[in-house]
Amino acid sequence: MTPAKKIALCLLLLLGFVPAAFSAGALHVLVVQSDNKPLYHTFTKALAESLPATVDLSTRVLAEDFDAQRADLVVTVGVAAADWVADKTSRPMIAAMIPADSYAGLLEKRGSAKKTSAIYLDQPWARQVRFVRAALPERRKIGVLYAAETRVSVQALRAEFARNDRTLVARPLHDPDSLFSDLEDVLAASDVLLAVPDAGVYNGSSIRNILLSSYRRGIPLVGFSQAYVRAGALCAIFSTPEQLAAQTGAAIISFARSGDLPEARYPALYTIDVNREVARTLGISVSSAEFLRLQVDKPSGNSR
Amino acid sequence: MNNQNVAMTLLLCLTGQAIYAADYASETDYYQEFPVVLSASRLSQPLSEAPNAMTVIDRKMIIASGFRTIADLFKLVPGMYVSYYKGSQPIVAYHGSTDQYARRMQVMIDGRSVYMPLDSTVDWADLPITVDDIERIEVIRGPAAASHGANSTQGVISITTRDAGVMDGKSVSVTRGSKGINDVSARFGRRGDTLDYRMTLAYSADNGYDNLSAPPNSIPVAQSKAAGLLNNSFDSNQARLLNYRADYHPNAADRYDIQFGFNHDVQAVGWTDSVGNPVHDLFSNSGFVQLGWIRSLDDNAEFSLRYSHIGQDQHEAFTVVSLAAQSVQSSRDEIELQHTLPLSGSNRLVYGAAWRNDRVAAQGYAQALFLLYKASPAYSSSSNTNEYRLFAHDEWRITPRFLLNTGGMFETDAMGHQNVSPRVALNFHVTPQHTLRMGTSVAYRTPALGESTFRILQPGALFVPNATVTSPGLMPERLLSREIGYLGEFPDWASSLDLRLFSDQVSNGLFYDTTFKKSFVNGMSSAYQGLEATVKHSFDEDRHVTLNFAHELARSNAPSLVAAGYLKLVSSAPWTNDILSGSTPRNSASLLYSQHLAHDVNFSAAYYYQAAMQPFDRGIIDFQPIQRRVDACVAKAFNQGGGVKGELALVLQNLFDTKYTEYVANNVFNRRGYVTLTLNW
Repeated sequence: MTPAKKIALCLLLLLGFVPAAFSAGALHVLVVQSDNKPLYHTFTKALAESLPATVDLSTRVLAEDFDAQRADLVVTVGVAAADWVADKTSRPMIAAMIPADSYAGLLEKRGSAKKTSAIYLDQPWARQVRFVRAALPERRKIGVLYAAETRVSVQALRAEFARNDRTLVARPLHDPDSLFSDLEDVLAASDVLLAVPDAGVYNGSSIRNILLSSYRRGIPLVGFSQAYVRAGALCAIFSTPEQLAAQTGAAIISFARSGDLPEARYPALYTIDVNREVARTLGISVSSAEFLRLQVDKPSGNSR
Repeated sequence: MNNQNVAMTLLLCLTGQAIYAADYASETDYYQEFPVVLSASRLSQPLSEAPNAMTVIDRKMIIASGFRTIADLFKLVPGMYVSYYKGSQPIVAYHGSTDQYARRMQVMIDGRSVYMPLDSTVDWADLPITVDDIERIEVIRGPAAASHGANSTQGVISITTRDAGVMDGKSVSVTRGSKGINDVSARFGRRGDTLDYRMTLAYSADNGYDNLSAPPNSIPVAQSKAAGLLNNSFDSNQARLLNYRADYHPNAADRYDIQFGFNHDVQAVGWTDSVGNPVHDLFSNSGFVQLGWIRSLDDNAEFSLRYSHIGQDQHEAFTVVSLAAQSVQSSRDEIELQHTLPLSGSNRLVYGAAWRNDRVAAQGYAQALFLLYKASPAYSSSSNTNEYRLFAHDEWRITPRFLLNTGGMFETDAMGHQNVSPRVALNFHVTPQHTLRMGTSVAYRTPALGESTFRILQPGALFVPNATVTSPGLMPERLLSREIGYLGEFPDWASSLDLRLFSDQVSNGLFYDTTFKKSFVNGMSSAYQGLEATVKHSFDEDRHVTLNFAHELARSNAPSLVAAGYLKLVSSAPWTNDILSGSTPRNSASLLYSQHLAHDVNFSAAYYYQAAMQPFDRGIIDFQPIQRRVDACVAKAFNQGGGVKGELALVLQNLFDTKYTEYVANNVFNRRGYVTLTLNW
């Protein structure tokens, strides 16, 4: 049994489903990728591995190639595919790998929540905040720099941090040229910098100076992908494409069994990664990933 | 999802297509690849993991100290002797110094060795950087040849300048103060996608020290005058400098560091009552070029290649009977290759090789030498030497609690000697907050060119070596160092303690023999034992204090060398017959307090203490009594609006005007103050 399959099975058991329950004829699932890129192939491959042979999986590697062929269920991978497919079919759809904030827009296009599920890409803020607290218990001023309000729900984040006895220092970018002076302002007022998925601030060309500036001040960056940790962030919490695929697989099996789509969900599976070298240099003792996970998971039933 | 976002989404639905792609994060934001930014060479080693005792002076401390010269910063290092031969000729030495040329330390700027080939000392006034170009200084107290190369005997000073990408904009700064203090600097920098750069243009001037006007230490006036102690020194200094640093990072794997700089320095040297060295100007032009390439490899491995060139051209003209002139040209080229290789998750190896070429050419002309000594009035010398070294250093986390650092350097030095300098240190984390360190290491110091080719007849301020070797058969000095360190973090008290007990033994030590040969000879054995401590404490978020203390005992075989006839080693200190013991301050301390006040005002104060001592090669007239000094600094930051920010700072040095004297007692440090206005935009 492949690891992805194992995870899917565990998930099913977790969600209270019995895998043996589906026995009706083959389910036709069409996977529509946003692009012909390794990220999406990784997802599709892991998804295929998590499904039993009774599920008949076919793939469109480019969203543009989508045709409303006879499929019992459409799984889109990524934002572009979801966007493309949304109003082109009325078949049940699972939009995997989309940000939670975009689900409402998707529903708007689709019209029916019953036929539209999603596996979100991002971690719920509550989980993210608990993670920051667990990893850096002594740091209480959390800095966030963002360009577009739509990418970060500052109010929700502020409330969540307040609940966890933390202060959010959130600053919008004044203009695209002021990134580094705005960053210095945020760093001057905070003791952790929390990266947000906002390409106006965090992109391939800015990450270098963001990491160097925060490092110079001894302020750790908390990221949201493995790439951040490799680049020099202290730690990150994120879901890999494989983990999203496993959850999607479980949702497909559940659909095969009951004919109903599960409701849209945040990732049930996630990974915690810590850059030990950076931790040592900054003089921060970060608990093991396993221990952090226990603390992040402490209040149960938190996936939404 | 909150209501606000739903409303926003609905709004966007009405107004546009492809809503998520443009306005929401997508998976490409989450799964984008980044280059490794904080690679092994960027990350500094935490104190609790370092194989040596180390003092870090960071920007916050630099600013809080208020110092405007680099050498003064080392007053914040426990056990460091900082004194002055002239206002622009500092002596920075760990374990004291045997003369005005402190030459037992490795000094590096961004990995480039900057002590000069002729006398292995640093010309601090002629470095092409200012205090404000410095990001951080790491001072290793003790030998570290395994990781820092030749001359890392008593210690290593490693200066890291500010990153090329540290500023995006422009800045000007003007300083005016007493004692002729007059500094101006302009900086600009740009951060780009693939190229960051910054540049500094600076002018710095002061009138140096005040003259000693009355005899010190109840020495009779006549004796003071005869010894050339009173009202006879000029030591003003003007430096004009430029430095440029660029960081070109065209892709995720490669990084290029490009640097160059110049300094044109004019300093007053000499003494009004000196025949051989009357007051005159010494002109020094120094420059450097440095090119570095760092390639990030898989699995945190890294390859680096660095080339650097430093050069200095000095000249002076003065009158000894008739016009005399001297000039010295020194240069160094160095190439270093280094590979950092994690052997496993718990073991990292750094190894490499380096080549270095040092060249010195010097010329002099003084008619007086012929008239007075029947010596040739024209003299010159030149030297061209190569040295090679191989080094390796392994850091092995045997268990999470035990860290073993082992390393060594093999060198063929400029004189052809082959030395192996090993080092081993074990760090034991009793708990994550408490670390014990035990280490031992050996390092060698190759005699400086100036020691092997010392000229006796030496007019002026510059040193022109003899054309032939005057001290044949000199051997490198050898230092064996043993230490036990403790580092404790006390989070409940917001404090940390860094403690070190050390025992260093020098064999084959070089000293100047005036009795038999008037040249340098090996033969001094010395031992240094002591305790050093650094305590840091934060009263709250806005108030911090750092306290450094050193207690040091030095002894040597000088008394028996004196008995054997080496009369240069007779101790001038009345309390000991061991010249080395007398010349090492028994206790020294520094305290730096900083406080952030309301309205963007920062206040800092510092206290420096040094016990009485007798400088090694000076007579009793240069006795240095207890030195106490308090500095204070107040700075107010302001935001002018329109993107213009600034700061106005006032620094008062030696607030209580203790009028202490330096390595030569002619130099008196009176209270002085200066005001700095900085604008950034």
